[in-house]
This record gives sequence, C-alpha cells and structure tokens, in this order.
Amino acid sequence: MAAPVLAVLAILQFDSVPRPRPVLAVAEAALINVFVNRVDAWAFQQDWARSGTRAWIKNVRLGWDWDEDAFPTNMFAHPYHGGLYFNAGRSNGLNYFESVPIAFFGSWTWEYLGETYRPSLNDWFMTSFGGITLGEMFHRVGATIRDNRRTGLNRTIREISALPIDPIGGFNRILRGQWRGLGPNPPEHDPGAYVLRLGGGIRFAKRLNADSGFWSMGTFLLDLLYGDQVGQEYKAPFDVFNVRLLITSQGINALRASGRLYGANLNSPTGRNRHMLAINQRYDFIKNPAQSVGGQSVEIGINSRWLFGSKGFGIRTAIFGDGIILGAIDAPGTGFGERNYDFGPGVGARWEVGLERHGVRFVRLFSQIEYIHAVSGASADHTVNFGGIEAAVPIARRLGLAASSTIFGRVSHYTDGRTRDARDYPEARLLLVWTKVGFSEAQR
Amino acid sequence: MTRLACLVALALLCGAAAAAYSQEAPKRHRRGLWGELGSGPGYARIACTDCEDVVGATGTTGYLRVGGVISKKVVIGVEFFSFLDKAFGFAPEDSNAVAETATAAIVLLWYPGRHGLFFKGGVGAAFGQFAVPYDSGGVAVADTSGGAGIGLTFGLGWDLPISRKFAITANAATFVTALGDVALPGRKVDDFIATIYQASIGFTIR
Repeated sequence: MAAPVLAVLAILQFDSVPRPRPVLAVAEAALINVFVNRVDAWAFQQDWARSGTRAWIKNVRLGWDWDEDAFPTNMFAHPYHGGLYFNAGRSNGLNYFESVPIAFFGSWTWEYLGETYRPSLNDWFMTSFGGITLGEMFHRVGATIRDNRRTGLNRTIREISALPIDPIGGFNRILRGQWRGLGPNPPEHDPGAYVLRLGGGIRFAKRLNADSGFWSMGTFLLDLLYGDQVGQEYKAPFDVFNVRLLITSQGINALRASGRLYGANLNSPTGRNRHMLAINQRYDFIKNPAQSVGGQSVEIGINSRWLFGSKGFGIRTAIFGDGIILGAIDAPGTGFGERNYDFGPGVGARWEVGLERHGVRFVRLFSQIEYIHAVSGASADHTVNFGGIEAAVPIARRLGLAASSTIFGRVSHYTDGRTRDARDYPEARLLLVWTKVGFSEAQR
Repeated sequence: MTRLACLVALALLCGAAAAAYSQEAPKRHRRGLWGELGSGPGYARIACTDCEDVVGATGTTGYLRVGGVISKKVVIGVEFFSFLDKAFGFAPEDSNAVAETATAAIVLLWYPGRHGLFFKGGVGAAFGQFAVPYDSGGVAVADTSGGAGIGLTFGLGWDLPISRKFAITANAATFVTALGDVALPGRKVDDFIATIYQASIGFTIR
C-alpha cells in the first residue's frame, strides 16, 4: 500500500518530464548566440564577432554565401553547436519534431546576426541538420547517464559526466534544482537494449600522408548501439540509434551516427525472424590526413535478423539507400579560397551482414558507396566507396580482441577539363575491447 | 439572491462549455491524400562567390504540392516549385536571359492551432536552366546552360476553407537554391545561390 502512495508522491514532487516551454526554448537558443558572440568578442578579441546593425543590414541585403572554414570546424564544431540549440528545445519539454525549428532558428539568427561575415549556407545546413542528429543523441545519452533515483557521489558523478554531452540539458537541470531532486527517470533513460563497446589498440594505415609508406599509431574506439534495430517497435524518433567514435593521436578520426526517424514492421513482430523498414537520419565525419569526407543524410531501407539454433546466434543484415542533404569532401583542386574541400548533395547506398549472439556482433562485413555533386568549390563529381570486415572474439568476461580491415576509396571527375583523380586508403586496427550488453530475454 | 444563483449557474455553464471546447479533438486541416496548386509573384536574389554584389530579379512562380497526413497537426508532401524570369541577368547590366529554376522537395506542414495557419519546411533537389543570348560573329545565338544542386524551403501559409473538401491557401515562402557552377558563354558563374521569395495563392483539395 505504501509503495503506490510513495510513487505518486515522488511523481508530484519531481516531474521528470517538464511541460513544454517553447518561449523559454527560443530564448535559450538566442542566449546561446549572445553568450558565444560576446565570449568571442570580449575574451578572444575576434573582429568577426563585433556585429551590429550595420553588419545585420549588410547580411540581410546580401544573403547566403559559402564559407572557407576548416573541415573540422564546419563538419564537427558546427553540428555540435547546433546540438545546443536543439537541446534548448528538448530540455524544455519539446519533443523531437518541436525542437527541429529551434535548431534552424538558432543557426539562422547566428548566421545573420552573430557574425560580421555574410551568412554561410553550408553553416546553416550543417548546424541545423547535424545539430538535430547529434543533439537528439546527446539528449538521450545524457538522460541514460543521469539517474534521478540515485543520491550522493554517484548522482553527482553522473550529472557531471553528462554535462559535456548535453550541456544545455545539464544547465537547465541546475536551474530547476534537478541535480539533487529524486524522482522517476524520463523514458529516454532506459534504451531497452544496448551494446556499449570501448576499445584501445593500434591502427595501421597505408598512404596516410603520401601515396607510399606505412604508419601505425594508437587508436581509441567507442561503439554504442542504443536500442535494437529489429527487436524494438518504433516509438519515437531516435528510439534506436548507433554511434561510432574513433580517436587517434591526430584527433577525431571518425564520428558516424545514425538514428531511426521512423520504423515499421514488415513481418510479424513476434516472429523468430524479423524484418523492419527504417528511415534513418545520419551524420558522418571522417577526417584523416589522407581523406576528409562527411555530411548530413537521410536513408531508407530494411533491417533484418535471422536467428538459428537455440544458443542465441543469428545473422543481421541491412540494406539502405540514402540521399545526402549536404556533404563535404576533399580531393585535389577542390574548395575555394582557404577551404580545401567541396560541398554538395548526393545519393548513395550501403549494405552489411553480421554474425551475432544475443545482439552482440562478432563478425561484420559491410560496404557503402556515395556520390557527391559539388555545388561549392570545384566543378566536380565525387564517388566515395568504403568497405571492410570487422571481427571480435571474447577472451574473458566482457573483454575481447577486435580486428578490422577497411579500405576507403575516392574517385573525382572534373567537368572543367582536369583529369580524373582516384585515391584509396587501406587501414587495419587491432584492439582490446570491453563490451557491456543490455538485451532483455524477449529481445534475444 | 436568484440573480446571483443565475450568474453562478451561467458562469459554471460557460466554464463547462469552454472546458468542453478545449477538450474537443483538434480539427484536421487536411485528410488522406491532398493536393495543392498555386501561383504568384517571386523575387530572386542571386549570389555567387566571384560576384561583387547580389543581383535581384522578379518573375513568376508556380508550385504543386501533393501529400498525406502524419498526424492531426502535421502533414507531409512533395512540392514542385518553379521560378521563371524572361528578363534575367547575372550582372546588373544584363537583363536579356531567360532563367528558370525548379525545386523538388519533401516538405512538412505544421498546423500549430485549430485555425488554418501553418508553417512549412522542406529540403530537396534544385535545378536551374539559363538561356543566354550572345553575339558570335554579329549573330545573336541563345546558349543554354544549366545546373543541379540542393534546394531548401521554409515559410508559412493559411488554409481558408471554402468547403469541407476545398480551400484557398495563401503562402509566403523562401526557396534557397544552390546550383554550383553555371557555365555561360564567355564566363563561368561560381557557386551560384538563388534565394527566391514567393507570395502565392493556391487551390487546395484536402
């Protein structure tokens, strides 16, 4: 009898799902811009941040342009910044779709009012679309790390750990006294099923800096599968997503993420073998001295799982076609000014086959091809292909050895008379991995 | 006393009616498969990386939207939009080219309330074609150049119902059209971006 009463009291005391506050969300997006602008103007003495009415009138009159920023700035920093706008919406009780306009609004106002430079079209695309993808994932990962039922040091460590991932959400929680308040967790706290894999080891690369030579360096891997692509019914955008982060001594080598926007059963949800249609929103950032490519895209395709035997083994497949909303890629002669890469939309496709046990993949074979038509930079069309094989073998509880071999190729065709250029970039990784799995019996 | 009781009863009745109204299911603005066709004036602002200034041009726009319903407040569709200017110029002194741009985009319309106001956002592919006359040995020849790229649109509108099935729709929208390089006789326009502002009236079957 006491338990239900306590549960009701807890809900009344601490509403973990705040009521929608759209005005506050818009105000916070505007405040983010004011804060970043003033820090750049006052602390870093940046002339471009000293914008005022004259710059605003000029920007409104001249309109969109393409900028010359470095690849990591445009393709990683801007999407991260866009995630702050998006999460101003999410942390104020707006849902995914209601937060989308906040990301566009925050980026648009920054481009027109936050800088003396002309508004950059590529920034608007990357900040808005990339911010939505990264922002929703950061919101969900932040909610999973935080736990409103914990107290003491554990609670504080969780809140601080979530802060770099979802700073706006953390900031709002401080303002609302939710860093210490006890209560139920939001639905995003529990992904239902997950696989978290962390690894460290050596990366071997050929043609990294020149067309001959062989390099090796340390590498760190983070793989997160949040939710189950075929085991979970569709509930909301990004109820299922996956992220891969690769870091080397050169910085972020790859950050690739894909979240389910919509899903539908193609066969019986209770069947042993499962097939689900999915529409995913994707973010890709690949940067190394040999190749830089990335972009925002939407893909549609089918995820399938075939179980065999009674020990939880199965085969997973995925086949998807995609449209690149705006991509970026480097090649000889690309870009303009200080920028050494092109921007453009495109199309592509990918497939993969994996062998798994209880949701954890041991072998994965994959391939992807993307075509990008440059609309800023060189008069060029680029084709990128990426494929390889990955394997992981358990050696002790949660510990394992993982190896991968991939090849990344690019072919560029120029329409202004320059000769075709092609480059491939093979690499291999050997890692010690730690894997944590959360799959319910039903999902197995 | 009777008057006070009547006033209290009236207030309670009004309150109940207001509560009932507020609990009424939101009105569906469009049902099932819907379509919308419209036209109106447009203003295009052209920018490119080596252009010293932007160029403005007015023209005629037309659009066709067809789609379905996601929820009571959100509908999804495909929009085909076109802008035509028969006296277009890439520079202030030019005004004799025929320019046509088109956008094919996936669009979402969001109706925030029970009234017909909606906000629109969408992204898709963009196309452009430019017929540019030029002198070659004293003979005027029209050379056609084109490009394909990315299109983005956002704006707002209002559905004014004229019957259960039909509505007149007013739209104000912006179309950002990035086409890349456009090769013209004797010159190349680098990284062409056209921003088109459109005001239009459409007929909607909903």
